[in-house]
Amino acid sequence: MAAVEQRPYEASREKGGSGWAIVLAQELRDLWLGGRGLLLSFGFSILLSLIAYLVATNTALNFLEQRESVNLTLQVAIAVGGLLTLLAAADTVSGERERGTLETLLLTPVSRRQVVTGKLLAALSLWLVAFAITVPYVWFLGRGLLIVTEALGTGLVVGTLLAVFLASLGVVISLFAGSNRVSLSVSLFLLLALFAPTQLPSSAQQGWAGELFLRANPITAGEHYVGRIVVNSHSWSEDVSWLLSPLVAAVVFAVAVPVLGARFLRLGGGRAK
Amino acid sequence: MKNIGASARHVFIDRSRFATRVRAIRGRRGRSGKAEIAVSPAVEAQGVAKRYGSLVAVENLTFAVEAGEVLGVLGPNGAGKTTAIRVLTTIFSPSRGSFAVAGVPHTRPAEIRRRIGVLPESDGYPERQTGEEYLRYHARLYGQTRASARTIAGALLEEVGLHDRRRSPIAAYSRGMRQRLGIARTLVNEPDVVFLDEPTLGLDPAGQRQILGNVRRIARERGATVLLSSHLLAEVEENCSRVMILNHGRVIAEGTVAEVAHRAAARRSGRLHVAPDDVGRAIAALTGTRGVETVEGADGQPGWLTVVFAPDAEDVENRSPSDALRVLLDSGVALLSFELEGARLSDAFLAMTAAV
Repeated sequence: MAAVEQRPYEASREKGGSGWAIVLAQELRDLWLGGRGLLLSFGFSILLSLIAYLVATNTALNFLEQRESVNLTLQVAIAVGGLLTLLAAADTVSGERERGTLETLLLTPVSRRQVVTGKLLAALSLWLVAFAITVPYVWFLGRGLLIVTEALGTGLVVGTLLAVFLASLGVVISLFAGSNRVSLSVSLFLLLALFAPTQLPSSAQQGWAGELFLRANPITAGEHYVGRIVVNSHSWSEDVSWLLSPLVAAVVFAVAVPVLGARFLRLGGGRAK
Repeated sequence: MKNIGASARHVFIDRSRFATRVRAIRGRRGRSGKAEIAVSPAVEAQGVAKRYGSLVAVENLTFAVEAGEVLGVLGPNGAGKTTAIRVLTTIFSPSRGSFAVAGVPHTRPAEIRRRIGVLPESDGYPERQTGEEYLRYHARLYGQTRASARTIAGALLEEVGLHDRRRSPIAAYSRGMRQRLGIARTLVNEPDVVFLDEPTLGLDPAGQRQILGNVRRIARERGATVLLSSHLLAEVEENCSRVMILNHGRVIAEGTVAEVAHRAAARRSGRLHVAPDDVGRAIAALTGTRGVETVEGADGQPGWLTVVFAPDAEDVENRSPSDALRVLLDSGVALLSFELEGARLSDAFLAMTAAV
């Protein structure tokens, strides 16, 4: 086997930028200029408008206080923003696999770790846009209150942690899913399962077992934390232990994406090596 | 190639450099014309196998391709062509064996990917991107700067005849245009070795001709080694300097078209047209002639004879038909026409893949 000769374009490669950044830029272009991100964001803003309208004009009917209106809107924004992020992430690898574009990406010298990292970051952009859309609604509903800044800050922190967790979860599912339909279905099922505890009667959420259950679930723990800050006017540090599971989930899954991506980003959904 | 500025030539299109590269890979030759140093193959595989559980997709793949060669990879459906290409292009890891591409061992897949261009069989394209955006993106993935990626994209679109449609979304491209775009994509990194998996699949004859023209140019002008997997045997015969036939995951023949056809010992036959009065004399003369297996008159076609030549592994120079013709002429038979069939790649292919 011959010695490897120097490639003539190595010099320009040095200036070409990181692989993940190039993948991220292209994914952002596809997501936003391709129209999919705009469409999802438009749907998100319609939903948020509807909720804001209902909580702002119908307080007599639903007995919501102004703080609770802000809390509800923020929690819906976090939940739906997370859903959009999860859906975008669940399409990243399995979608490319189905469209037949994954093989050409795998044939480039960009490492698989960098490919999935770029795709993960692009999916997270949906949450950032969703949050930006939420800001004026929260500001409008919370006008006259002193909690708007805290509400927005808490929403950004909790929402970002949950978005990182859900987007990473979506990418991991997408890595192993045999088809895009499977990837989206499993992701949605897991999201519903994570949200299910929020619908349990309050009696089921009492006691040490109930609290442990709420704390262990990143979604319920995060939303609980937001409620404590916005509705109960607690300081950010008072209930910070509730952020433990969202933080752990975000870190663990965010680390898992490049680690698993390096090994399992394959043509056959984790089957063919 | 047209409209390429000096900077473009500097960054990307430098034919002399390609030629230099080929010479470097081929090795120096002395005045005698014999190689003075060992020639390094562009692709070299030693006992490569790929298995999925008990299913053997590729078994003991051993071959070498010299720099600048065009190797036709043939085989029936399911023979393992695509799997072999996916192993050699580092998409799949081999279950056993080793290989090197452009001198890079398979243990360094990222380095191999920098040196190859691949057009996969089931190539998909982002429908919303334009051809130019698509090539720019891939050039960037190979580490090019924005400016050089733009230059490369423009030059390659010109080369494959898509410059006028560079700003059209790929969704509006025909199948042939997509394949040409795919070929352009395989060249964004100035590959040493180009793998083309069924590039003419689903194309009309004009599209096939365009693609094969591109393939010839890749080998001739760029000095790249080409591995061309195709079902179009005539085109492979015409465009490839060597062929390799796979069946059931194994290499069953490798060499030049003539060598493979000879090794296949495919039966050849000839259609003779003689004066109707000479039919009996011709049959008598040919019967018993060395190399002639059977000879008989064609039903309903006065004056036409069908001669089947025996497969003879020793008959390297295809002498049997000439000998038969000589016997006829010596016998005073008036020969009106003679058509030799067989001994083509398609005959060898059918003979080999049917036999295994």
